[in-house]
Amino acid sequence: MSVRRKGPRATAVKVATYVLLGTVAIIVLFPFVVAVSTSLKRNTDIFTYPPSLVPRTERTITDPERDLESATVYVLPGRDGEYALADNDIPIAEFRRIDDPTVVIARPPGDGTETDRTTLVDGDEETIYLLDVDGEQVEVYRARLTVGGLFVPITGDGESVVELVNLATPDRTFGPRFENFSEVVTEKNLGRSLTNTVLVTIAVVVGQIVTSVLGGYAFARIDFKGRDQLFLLYLGSVMIPFVVLIIPLFQLMLQLGWTDNLVALIIPFVFTAYGTFLMRQFFLGIPKEIEEAALIDGASRATILWKVMVPLARPAIATLATFGFLYAWNSFFWPLVIINSGNPDNGLLTLTLATLGGRSSTDTNLVFAGAVLAMTPPILVFLFAQRYFVENSASSGLK
Amino acid sequence: MSAVTFSQVTKRYKDGPKAVDALDLDIADGEFMVLVGPSGCGKSTALRMLAGLEEITGGELRIDEQVVNDLPPGDRDIAMVFQNYALYPHMTVRENIGFALEVAKMDKTEARGRVENAAEMLGLTEYLDRLPKALSGGQRQRVAMGRAIVRSPKVFLMDEPLSNLDAKLRVQMRSDIIQLQARLGTTMVYVTHDQVEAMTMGHRVAVMRNGILQQVAPPQELYLTPANLFVASFIGSPAMNLITSDVTIEDGTVFVSFAEHRIRLAPGAVERYPGLLQRDGTQVIFGMRPEHFALAGDIDVGDDQIIGVEVELAEAMGAEVHVHTRFDVPPVSIDGESLDPDEDAPVDGTPIIARIDGVHIVAMGEHIRLALKTHLAHFFDPTDGRPLR
Repeated sequence: MSVRRKGPRATAVKVATYVLLGTVAIIVLFPFVVAVSTSLKRNTDIFTYPPSLVPRTERTITDPERDLESATVYVLPGRDGEYALADNDIPIAEFRRIDDPTVVIARPPGDGTETDRTTLVDGDEETIYLLDVDGEQVEVYRARLTVGGLFVPITGDGESVVELVNLATPDRTFGPRFENFSEVVTEKNLGRSLTNTVLVTIAVVVGQIVTSVLGGYAFARIDFKGRDQLFLLYLGSVMIPFVVLIIPLFQLMLQLGWTDNLVALIIPFVFTAYGTFLMRQFFLGIPKEIEEAALIDGASRATILWKVMVPLARPAIATLATFGFLYAWNSFFWPLVIINSGNPDNGLLTLTLATLGGRSSTDTNLVFAGAVLAMTPPILVFLFAQRYFVENSASSGLK
Repeated sequence: MSAVTFSQVTKRYKDGPKAVDALDLDIADGEFMVLVGPSGCGKSTALRMLAGLEEITGGELRIDEQVVNDLPPGDRDIAMVFQNYALYPHMTVRENIGFALEVAKMDKTEARGRVENAAEMLGLTEYLDRLPKALSGGQRQRVAMGRAIVRSPKVFLMDEPLSNLDAKLRVQMRSDIIQLQARLGTTMVYVTHDQVEAMTMGHRVAVMRNGILQQVAPPQELYLTPANLFVASFIGSPAMNLITSDVTIEDGTVFVSFAEHRIRLAPGAVERYPGLLQRDGTQVIFGMRPEHFALAGDIDVGDDQIIGVEVELAEAMGAEVHVHTRFDVPPVSIDGESLDPDEDAPVDGTPIIARIDGVHIVAMGEHIRLALKTHLAHFFDPTDGRPLR
């Protein structure tokens, strides 16, 4: 135990530390927050300005008295109170004043009295109408015919208004859209890819643990000729970058007929020099006497390995499993090379996500939903496994 | 009937010296045999060969008249307690003790009963469901013992089981082990480097050095009639003082002289070591245990058995005082090996420790007169270390 300094200076240092850590944490967490938020948004909600981290949905109202059913609530420009969109297909004539064409007046198409005069607007001849605006006859021309919405006031006691829908602002409230996830899984083939990835990952992790435990134990404890030379050779293979292996590995897969097959994602990665090394080092650290005691207790090699060594090696196995998991789960380049036919049945999460998020992607919300689905398992695994990294229970109590 | 027999058992490591050289040792049924010696003497190797953890290079090893040279450890019906206990850290005390029974696929109810019996015998009942890391050193040690006794083996093997315990606990466990062995009546082979443990625990003690068995005898016999210079120097604490001396015989009376001192030997010495009579004019090694000294006034001896020394250090132990002094003669070595464990210390003369009665107050630098009980002394040949009996 060290003596901690106390006093205002120590407090200041502590505060500064927390502020710094907090800032870094926020910076690091922000992309995750954006991803999660986007994955819950409606596609229309993503590119709104100002941007919002909160997924929103348009508020609706159901009011049988006003004959409203799931009507969206809007705020209209220049008017107080909230309106519900009761009907969306009201024809509207858009009139502009002759003396000031910037003033737009929306009316039902039948409004206004047609005159026999015309005016030139941008080289086009337009008929002049007389329109009653606040009791005054105004000369206007009809700029276009369109459809608008019938807005019924739900607060205050204004009148129903016909207005262009795109001039009205829907009133948005918090509303995550969880359907993004089911949609991306069912419609974008992510479900099959997820299954494949889980399958491949489990096979790789289990395979790596089995081969590493057996190999590591043999290298650590079983005396055979050339053991240490073999181990050096084995360890040397860690130094070869994977890109160097891709072409020979591809040719091998070709000869075995394993291209475009999930086996090609499993078998080559089940044997890991790194894992063997990790397990060997861990086994070397377990006192020999424990094994000797088990031998005297009558245990066979297999019993010793299974009942004594493996339980003791749990932290190392957890480490190995975590690394193996992250590697297999996130692997992209090799699957891209070997699962080459575009056969959606053999797709992996990484491949499907890459396709989904490609250039022509429009469903940004679905891309992010897929990304969130893809990153959740690694995060969970890491949270679960980290206690093994910290915990050192196996080595305490040995001596 | 002997429970364990070593016949010419030899262990040689690859390109190395013999760790155990032609060991002949009979251990009787129910005997508590202690193997003792300095580190590297081969005692642990002998034990590990008995356990089946080391291959036997030559000779024959029998347990219960059955040759076990090539039998795996699990088939030898032995149990072993290791120096660091070697408990399975991930198993509770109950699982640790019961592991051998589980491996042997013993009936669960019977196994449970035996584990609980063993735990009760060792006072571990309340700790049965704890992990080893939650136990103290002494408790772990007892779990290791429990793991051994639960199998009721033919032979217990213990490899320095007490050396990781603190001094007080070690004394306690020492008597516990003695009582346990007496109660169970199981043959015990116990390895230690601590000669106090060897002396207090063993029915018989086998002293080893450099892979060679030096002497096997009951503790008191080892102490009183050591078979050679090494045993004499190794057994006893503080160790026997060994002084290179010249023998002269005048009118049938034997004198030994070293440095400036000349001592007349009491007739008892010559009776026990008649070989002295043939050594007139030669050098012998004169061995005096610390208790063979006394302050001159305490016992009635002649002036020719008293020497004056300067006290280098006086350690008051309560009942006695250990007086350290030095004789100006070259220190004794065995086969060129110094007896002083602290080899780098400047060797200047032969250090001597005398044990005198605790009533005396002795100060550093003081000159005192020591009387020698020469009738109890030991004498060895300086060339081969044999006693001059």
